[in-house]
Amino acid sequence: MSMQRGGSRSGGFSAFGGRLAILLTLIIAFGGTGWAASTPKYGGVLTATESDTPPSLSIHEEATIATVWPMMPCYNNLVLFDPFKKQENVGTVIGELAERWEWRDGGKALLFHLRRGVKWHDGQPFSSTDVKFTFDVVREAPGAPAKLRVSPRKLWYENVASIETPDAETVIFHLKRPQPSLILMLAAGYSPVYPAHVPPAELRTKCLGTGPFKLKEYRQGEYIDLVKNPDYFIKGRPYLDGIRYVIIRERGTRYAGIQAGRQDVAYPLEIAKTIAESVKKAVPGMVLVETSTNLNDNLLLNFRRPIFEDARIRRAINLAIDRKGYVQAGRQGAAVLGGVMLPKPYGVWGLSEKELGKLPGMGDPAKNKEEARQLLAQAGYGPGKPLKLSVSTRASSFYVDLASFIIDQLKQVGIEATLEQVETGIWHAKLTRRDYEMAVNNTGLGPDDPDANLYENFKCGSPRNYSDYCNPEVDRLIDEQSQTPDFAKRLRLVHDLDTRLQLEGARIILGWAKEYYLMWPYVKNLIPHQSVYNYGRMQEVWLDR
Amino acid sequence: MRTYVLTRVAIAVLTLLGMSVVIFVLLRIAPGDVVDMIFASAGYVDPAAKTEIQRELGLDRPITVQYARWLGEILRGDLGKSYRYDIPAWQVVRPRIPITVELAILAMLVASLIGIPAGVVSAVRQDRWMDYVMRILSLAGLSMPSFWLGMVIILLLVWGLGWIPALTYVSPFQDLKAHLLQFLFPALAVGSRSSALIMRITRSSLLEVMREDYIRTAYAKGQRERVVVWRHALKNAFLPVLTVLGIEFAFLIGGLVVTETVFNLPGVARFLVEAILWRDYPVVQNLVMFIAVVVILANFAVDVLYGWLDPRVRYG
Repeated sequence: MSMQRGGSRSGGFSAFGGRLAILLTLIIAFGGTGWAASTPKYGGVLTATESDTPPSLSIHEEATIATVWPMMPCYNNLVLFDPFKKQENVGTVIGELAERWEWRDGGKALLFHLRRGVKWHDGQPFSSTDVKFTFDVVREAPGAPAKLRVSPRKLWYENVASIETPDAETVIFHLKRPQPSLILMLAAGYSPVYPAHVPPAELRTKCLGTGPFKLKEYRQGEYIDLVKNPDYFIKGRPYLDGIRYVIIRERGTRYAGIQAGRQDVAYPLEIAKTIAESVKKAVPGMVLVETSTNLNDNLLLNFRRPIFEDARIRRAINLAIDRKGYVQAGRQGAAVLGGVMLPKPYGVWGLSEKELGKLPGMGDPAKNKEEARQLLAQAGYGPGKPLKLSVSTRASSFYVDLASFIIDQLKQVGIEATLEQVETGIWHAKLTRRDYEMAVNNTGLGPDDPDANLYENFKCGSPRNYSDYCNPEVDRLIDEQSQTPDFAKRLRLVHDLDTRLQLEGARIILGWAKEYYLMWPYVKNLIPHQSVYNYGRMQEVWLDR
Repeated sequence: MRTYVLTRVAIAVLTLLGMSVVIFVLLRIAPGDVVDMIFASAGYVDPAAKTEIQRELGLDRPITVQYARWLGEILRGDLGKSYRYDIPAWQVVRPRIPITVELAILAMLVASLIGIPAGVVSAVRQDRWMDYVMRILSLAGLSMPSFWLGMVIILLLVWGLGWIPALTYVSPFQDLKAHLLQFLFPALAVGSRSSALIMRITRSSLLEVMREDYIRTAYAKGQRERVVVWRHALKNAFLPVLTVLGIEFAFLIGGLVVTETVFNLPGVARFLVEAILWRDYPVVQNLVMFIAVVVILANFAVDVLYGWLDPRVRYG
């Protein structure tokens, strides 16, 4: 089949297999989503929207949708989340460069059988060497053949002990301990396979992958043109002749562009409910998909500051912020409440409504604020001696508005907070130095997976654990959930962790942003997932015009 | 004239040298550098890797050494390499220059075609209803920022026509009509504001000239108003207008940031801001120097035109 699941016994991509693949894909498309109701058509160029010039074209060196969105069509992963399934989970992982895969050695080895006959865009053959090269470079393995300028997902592969390539079509990831999540991280848009014969530095300004589209032209600050790869290893794909990602910095212009029909699809991370709804109102035929982004807004408390060693202060702050107020005032309704993991119905691992209701800041705001005042009083603060803190955030309107909302909430319980605006470019440098007291931040996650989230943001010593929260018991639980193969048992562990992290104020989650994605009705098979980072391959997208 | 030109060239060189120091120092004073920006997209900063990249880019060397190296590169005609795009800075900058220059020229054209006649009419019909209308319109024009006007134009187009100009640059050789439409609306947005200024300058300057004796003499000789105004008065009233036109043009080269952003035109101004945000030193330094050269040349051209318009002006 065109995209096969693990465990399939099929060998090469025979003509029969190809036909069967197309048939099955169509069945999945029609039956699974009801999205595509007519026969796919070939041809046409999709005009997609990009909000800014990507910092570089190298997915492995960046952690922004601005790079992943236009570059995903250029590459393939070993495995990918099924583009037809809205909700990503382990059951929706399908093969790309890997035809099938199997866990061995009690979950400590993940073996991939690779496709044969796959070629890079320059005609060179793809092999297991490329897979080993990519992930050795990403995880900065000792003796890795190259070095990335920055490797933001190095932590994802911390549990990989070695990568073995017994032959050109087989790759084995040997793990230090079992880790069911590895397959999900490999399925993320952030996990393409790079060519071993091209220095990674070159991929900052060009793309050379095995993917359904090749780079035709990149005009910095203007557009990225991709053109159909005629030698793509899946026969009959892609449907489109090309994709043009037009870089439009001004949001009003981006929406005007889609309303006027200059753009076929919107940028996938606008989080602009009101504007999207007004465009839909003006053009009723437009498709508006309400979905999630896997991006949360949060308040960081710097655990290096002695004041936050006092659990009462942390809880008082946590209680003071009315989460429902945040949804309305902070995100104008374009958010859902949740804990550390993406909440239901979008996410797989999020807390239930009942569990959420028990978290600080979720219940009656008046009662919560009263409890916060009492806690502050116990800690020695009150009207005569107010607690004075600073809230840092990026100097852009959304963050400043959100920080102002937080400051107002804190003021209602007697905390006098001042706002510090920081230029976006040096924001992460400041967080890395832990040079703040409280900070309003947002965090985007690749796959909706506990490992991808918990290790990066909550484990002791992680560079992106900006609050420096460190609890050896929590670290142990993170490791335990990571190697638990039983889903139900792991879900319970994750829920316990989620609740605990929120109660301790490790990173106070305000809520999860929702996306209102616009596209013209003639764009078919572009199905937004719960994570914005994983559905940009465009292999199945076609235009019905 | 020769001495005058040589003096101006010498002053220009000194000005550019001063500019180079100012821009170089200002960029280094701003917090963070390109390496912070590189790590910003990764979400954290690795101090060891940061030091390594700073060394690779030569940012670890003393500021005086960096400055001397840059000046040396300019003198050799080498504009360096863009930190952000990893390609020669000139390759990134070159295609953007004609776009901004064309937009600035068209905007000045719009400003002149609206502003000068409006100023003349307003002066000639002083304190009559037409003068009041013109003055109100010019005040409104001055009050409306061009970026706001640009956004309003876009919204009106999409609301009224369901159409907006192309959002990727269309070359005139590719499609002249689409190209002109693409530039017409931003030129209107920018030009209308400048036209208000030019209208007011034209009006006040013309009013002053119209009170001169030789204008009264021209009327006394029985010449028609049109001839008096357009042939005798306007030519002499034009010097301040020309000064404003020169300043506005020079200002526009660097001041079109928001208009280029709103209309998604890939010009110099928009790119300069992006380069500043990225601390892309080679690109920013060279673009600012380019803008400085344009300002100097525009002022020089205006000074030369003075002599042509007013024979009493002497160079020496």
